[in-house]
Amino acid sequence: MILGDLLGTPVLDADGGRLGRVADVRFVLDGTPHQLMAEPRLLGLVVGPHSASSFMGYERNGLTRPRMIARILRWRHRGSFLVLWEDIAVVGNRSVRLRPGFTRYSTALDDHAQA
Amino acid sequence: MTSASAPLPRAPKVGGRILDAQLHLMDRQVLDHDGVPVTTVDDLEVSGPALDVEIAPGSPAPVITALLTGSVLGTRIFGGRPPSSRLIRIPWKDVAEVGVVVRLGVKGEPLDASWVERWVRDKIIARIPGGSHDPR
Repeated sequence: MILGDLLGTPVLDADGGRLGRVADVRFVLDGTPHQLMAEPRLLGLVVGPHSASSFMGYERNGLTRPRMIARILRWRHRGSFLVLWEDIAVVGNRSVRLRPGFTRYSTALDDHAQA
Repeated sequence: MTSASAPLPRAPKVGGRILDAQLHLMDRQVLDHDGVPVTTVDDLEVSGPALDVEIAPGSPAPVITALLTGSVLGTRIFGGRPPSSRLIRIPWKDVAEVGVVVRLGVKGEPLDASWVERWVRDKIIARIPGGSHDPR
């Protein structure tokens, strides 16, 4: 599968309600170790309710400067959340459907980032 | 399902380094192990899941198998993407480091990703008088 096909895809809950779009895909470097780096394993999807993509990741890190740009981009990506691989039921051509009772996690990348 | 307005819980801790595809990989420059620019990361190839098929609970998560590159200027402007067969793959096992740039642990010369540059060098630049040796 080519990852670019997944970015921007609408994300639906188990009842078909629209939650947003896939803004990014999160991986963790803990897969099969190779000689140079471990394989990145898909950890989950970053879902943006108001935008189809993410720009510069202000909503995921603790950066606050330049203040005006940070505020605008945090506002644009408000409500973004992370759903783990375990909560994904179907990845389709036109949408991604989540399992009933899925959990929304913070998209923060570090301890200083805002939820 | 947790409420959308409540502060969201942190994701469970994981052992490895976190990489967000758009934020940390896409559009990054790729350098070979001598620091020579090879290409940029235009897309990523993932081992799954199968499209429109219910994912069984407990299924192992897909992994990144390759960095993809190719002629994407037209599709960036007009939308879509080149057919999968036209994209050039750099296997993930050749990636040595992900930072501001993506560094490979192999030489860039034999990779398919640099064939255009090799072709221009060998067929055009080398035929220009003085083009086949270092300037002195």
